[in-house]
Amino acid sequence: MKDKISNYIIHHIAKQKIDTIHADDDLLADGLIDSLGMMKLVAFVEKEAQIKIPPEDLTLENFMTIDHILEYLANQSTT
Amino acid sequence: MLILIINQVPILLYNLQHIIESVAISLPDRVAFSCLKKVITYQELDHQANQLAHFLLNNGHSKGDRIGIFMPRCLESVIAVYGILKSGAAYVPLDPFAPTHRTAAIMEDCNIKTLVTIPNLKNRTEGVLKETSQVQLIIGPETISNGTSIAWETIHEENYSKPLLEILESDLAFILYTSGSTGAPKGIMHTHYSALSLAKIVADTFDFHEDDIFGNPAPLHFDPSTFGYFVAPLVRAKTVIIPEAYLKMPASLSVLIAQEKISVWYSVPLMLIQLLKSNTLTKHDFSHLRWIFFAGEVFTPKHLKALMETLPQARYCNLYGPAELILCTYYPLEEIPEAHINIPIGKTWANTEFKILNSQGEEVAHGEEGELAIRSATLMQGYWNNPEMTKKCFYQVNIAQGYQHTYYKTGDLVKLNESNELLFLGRNDRQIKLRGYRVELDEVENILSQHPLVEEAAVIALKDTEETQKLQASILLKHGKSLQVDALQEFCSQFLPSYALPESITIMKDFPRTSSGKIDRRQIANLIDQPQT
Repeated sequence: MKDKISNYIIHHIAKQKIDTIHADDDLLADGLIDSLGMMKLVAFVEKEAQIKIPPEDLTLENFMTIDHILEYLANQSTT
Repeated sequence: MLILIINQVPILLYNLQHIIESVAISLPDRVAFSCLKKVITYQELDHQANQLAHFLLNNGHSKGDRIGIFMPRCLESVIAVYGILKSGAAYVPLDPFAPTHRTAAIMEDCNIKTLVTIPNLKNRTEGVLKETSQVQLIIGPETISNGTSIAWETIHEENYSKPLLEILESDLAFILYTSGSTGAPKGIMHTHYSALSLAKIVADTFDFHEDDIFGNPAPLHFDPSTFGYFVAPLVRAKTVIIPEAYLKMPASLSVLIAQEKISVWYSVPLMLIQLLKSNTLTKHDFSHLRWIFFAGEVFTPKHLKALMETLPQARYCNLYGPAELILCTYYPLEEIPEAHINIPIGKTWANTEFKILNSQGEEVAHGEEGELAIRSATLMQGYWNNPEMTKKCFYQVNIAQGYQHTYYKTGDLVKLNESNELLFLGRNDRQIKLRGYRVELDEVENILSQHPLVEEAAVIALKDTEETQKLQASILLKHGKSLQVDALQEFCSQFLPSYALPESITIMKDFPRTSSGKIDRRQIANLIDQPQT
């Protein structure tokens, strides 16, 4: 899942040309992904993880980095 | 009236920095701006802006110079704005997330020699410097690999008294760059007079007071930021600058608005719709929120209705105005709108008048459709370094030899309803709004056509979701050539801001054409819109 998300970011929504993205890189702060890209990322994660992310879960705490997204998904499967 | 009386001392209000100077005297310890945990009081802001101004003046800058602000939404941007103004220069906001080519082109267009930024943007600043050689000084980072830089700490060692320099209201205050149909961005020049007039009119029109807390989600290069940066200080209120990350996560933005006790909010409708759809507006305390303003795009009445029902304690107002005027009309909603009405852009406010013109430049009869032309104290000076385009957008009414009334032709088609309120009906050209930003479809076509393998390009806006549009580009390649769509998309991203990039590009063998040989864009839309069965 980690690789799928980073590949998706690098090839589909990153606003600059990047070769790698680290799991702890801040996805929200520095203009790497715009708000439209973020919505696409959420849709991608929903499709890959086969879950529906409720809009109230679209928070900084859940989507700040790839690590945060993975942690969020892990919590979803245990609950 | 442009004079405030505070403690029996009249305070002048002839330029934008007078706004904060007056509050720094009357309420020095009042918080002027905050951004998360960082805060700055009016006195601190005044002193730090003075320091930046002294530094600029001591380092060869003089009145009329243009200085770039290359910053995201952050507290330093306020010091940059007021510091540059106090030096007599005009500030030019540069989007740090725009392609470096575009930023460099803007800097060259208005001859920027000094750039004010923050240490976090060091890499990006170095990227911009690679594209242009005219920048001599960077303020912000301690070091920079390909230029000369001065850290903020050094600026804070400067004299903090007010620089002795008379800034007139007719002096240039800022230049906002916006999409231009030729492919090059155009710079809208505002003087202290036009921007201060906007702040004055807004403060006089609404019941803002010093206990208000303004939420400012707009980046500095987008004209709604004038609310947070100038209107709020004029009423001695506090502005909360919303950091970038919150705008991408509506559920977090919702918490922030509640926690910060924001009372005045102004954004594009899309941001409000995202807040509404986050299902969080009933979960936090929004009792402080008393004014919600929106502009830039049509607010779908269905969503506005839902928002007004969810937050019934707030008052709602539709604002309208191209960046050339910042704003010029307003329509406060007295009741929840019906689901299918066209919400008026309302009436012109103080110091502003209008005409509705037909294609021959004559006024239309009452109730008929035409182009809206506006005359106002908030009118821009013109487009930077482009007298031709300036002349083209103005509509002059000769009163006597050497004396004219100057109107700005908005390009927006309007008509008056029975209550004499203006209704927005569409555009008379190919400018559209994408997520609140102005985009000239001709500019996008021009950029595509600049690719060496592209023969011709046609760009149209298609409905994406209920409240958003997306750009669809169709291209013809030069004879016998082939090209990957990905490569073309990357080419565009070097020149266009992310919101103006085509969502999809289709390579066609030929375009449908009208009998006169022009590209039939309507026909292309039909071809693409056909359900794929």
